[in-house]
Amino acid sequence: MLRRDVIRAVATGLALPTIDALTPDSMWAAARVIHDRIRRTRQGEALLVLTEHQNAMVSALAELIIPETDTPGATAARVNRFVDVMLAEWFDEDEREAFLRGLVDLDARSVNTFGTPFLGLDEVQQTVLLRGLDAELAALRQLNRPTNDHFFQHMKWLTLYGYYTSEVGATQELEQVIAPGRYDPCGPVRREASGQWE
Amino acid sequence: MGMNQTAYDAIVVGSGVSGGWAAKELTEAGLETLVLEAGRAIDPATDYVEHEPAWSFRFRGLGDRKSLARRQPVQRTCYACDEAASKFFADDIDNPYSVPDDKPFLWIRGRQVGGRSIMWARQSYRLSDLDFEANARDGYGVDWPIRYDDIAPWYDHVERFAGISGEKLGLAQLPDSQFLPPMPMNCAEQFVKEGIERAYGRERVMTIGRAAVLTVDHNGRAACHYCGPCHRGCITRSYFSSLTATLPAAAATGRLTLRPNSVVAEVLYDADTDRARGVRVIDAVTQEEIEFRGRVVFVCASALESTRILLNSTSTRFATGLGNSSGELGRNLMDHTMGGGARGMVPGFTDRDAFGRRPNGIYIPRFRNVTTAHPDFLRGYGFQGGAGRSGWGRGMSMPGFGADFKHALREPGPWRMSLGGFGECLPRPSNYVEIDSDKKDKWGVPTLRIHCAWSDNERTMLQDMAVAAAEMLEAAGVQDVESSVVDNPPGLTIHEMGTARMGRDPQTSVLNGYCQSHDVPNVFVTDGSAMASSGNQNPSLTYMALTARACAYAVDQMKRREL
Repeated sequence: MLRRDVIRAVATGLALPTIDALTPDSMWAAARVIHDRIRRTRQGEALLVLTEHQNAMVSALAELIIPETDTPGATAARVNRFVDVMLAEWFDEDEREAFLRGLVDLDARSVNTFGTPFLGLDEVQQTVLLRGLDAELAALRQLNRPTNDHFFQHMKWLTLYGYYTSEVGATQELEQVIAPGRYDPCGPVRREASGQWE
Repeated sequence: MGMNQTAYDAIVVGSGVSGGWAAKELTEAGLETLVLEAGRAIDPATDYVEHEPAWSFRFRGLGDRKSLARRQPVQRTCYACDEAASKFFADDIDNPYSVPDDKPFLWIRGRQVGGRSIMWARQSYRLSDLDFEANARDGYGVDWPIRYDDIAPWYDHVERFAGISGEKLGLAQLPDSQFLPPMPMNCAEQFVKEGIERAYGRERVMTIGRAAVLTVDHNGRAACHYCGPCHRGCITRSYFSSLTATLPAAAATGRLTLRPNSVVAEVLYDADTDRARGVRVIDAVTQEEIEFRGRVVFVCASALESTRILLNSTSTRFATGLGNSSGELGRNLMDHTMGGGARGMVPGFTDRDAFGRRPNGIYIPRFRNVTTAHPDFLRGYGFQGGAGRSGWGRGMSMPGFGADFKHALREPGPWRMSLGGFGECLPRPSNYVEIDSDKKDKWGVPTLRIHCAWSDNERTMLQDMAVAAAEMLEAAGVQDVESSVVDNPPGLTIHEMGTARMGRDPQTSVLNGYCQSHDVPNVFVTDGSAMASSGNQNPSLTYMALTARACAYAVDQMKRREL
């Protein structure tokens, strides 16, 4: 499911993660778990499924993947909020739990390597751990093995998707034009590539 | 059952591509016309959201995955059924159908005023005598009762109103339309086109897609502004849909009555007059049953819905469905194959990119079995495709993160060119639909059981598409060419057709050459169900022309008091 949805929405021809179809039971279970949190969010700013700790980790990871440079980064684009919505309402329970286990695992790696949880590391140390995760993904791809069980695959696509489809990402990073008004078949390269819409 | 007191000159069932044309042609000819649409009314001002940016959608365009899985498990297999446009696709739970376990069929449906003309892909190609003579030549199906000369003026007629952009080629197998100026090819497409020309001369030709999208202002509708997601609607009415072109023209006559939420359960047969007297409608909102009467009935509900209505219209004379004395109603279901093709990298043009989202690709007209017979399969296919440069999306499968990664994604990826074939499907009686009386839809109307599978001819052709596409790309200088074959189930191409075929002989066909029922002459069926063979061209333009031609014939017959 995931693969088709994502392929349809972004540039074609990419190797993307797959997630198995939902079962009715897991859907209802998920609905029960998140029901009251959704209600709270609609009233204010409460997170749907992420705890404060998980939210801080997701925010830090997203900003490491797409940092602020000459344009705003993932934090300014509120990628953590997008991840929270996706985990709550788009992922099924198994997928959500797997993702959250990935955060626990990252903290464990952090303690093993540096003696402190991920959020206690400086940016250089955090980057070391991320390089490790990214290398594992690259190795899986090189072996033509599925990447959908890997936490960082999901963290990365959610970050990229959440960033570039945000108002900040689309207008400031991509300089997206909603109604170009013309088709120029062979113009100069712009930030917004020809196929990037939706 | 309630009885509507108005006696209409004509009743049109369905408001999509065919129904919209019937409404326009019949009202403009002076007929008081009732159009019945099963789905809701659509207001472009509020329902069209093509300019809403991704961030205004909760899932940023990825769609409400759980809702889609629950309510639209079939519809979501269509690329256009996204977060903004899924509301234009039918609810699979309210509108069930069934298939045997080993014969998947994806029935993609629109159920609203405008039907699928709101989300269609707008590709518009004429059939030729290569197509109209195909059945007679190889013996599959029955001979078409018409030839290209019969329909050519009607193609002219509908094209002048609808507006088809494209390039004149002068090819016998793909006659030119009444074109508006063509959209341009981008640099990579131009490169491939020239390469194919060098390698194949006039035998294989690449042209820009012929699309029902305006490149100049036309008949009060604005030229395309290249925003991209046409399937979400078009507030400037730049692509053809019944909602924003034919239905408004019909309404302007003052003779159109459009009734949404009107589920036509059956066409009513009157044994005394040996004619249809009208239709039985179930109001989709109130569940009230109402009979509407009309002198002629145009069934334009889409191939499978029209067939279902006729199969459900039983009487003492027509125990197996209205106008089914031949037994062919429901048989000979076809769709186009899709999924054989190739792609690769186009070298160069690194400082160039296209600006604007062109709602159209390229087209390579059929070249198999045109002048010489292919040893492995009958009939042929055309290619659709295009070139573009990938954007940030490629980052999801690219190593790296951080500032350099972010800035690298600002540069577009290499030019990639892809070709995908659309192949003809042979008409065969073993592909058929029947009524499953045990399974009813939300309104109590018995549903279809669909039996459809590709034959060896289609599968062999699919393999040839992949091989030929790769050969052509390589011959044109495209690099790293990869071919692929995806065996999509029938239905997904959304060109389903053929289940009330036209023919010369009432014993072997349902309709005559004017889409008129052989058995019940005041019943016309002018959508895809009338098709005697499928060709390989996207068929909507042909449905438009067949409808307009049938309307002119019906009006003439009514004037002569023969109807």
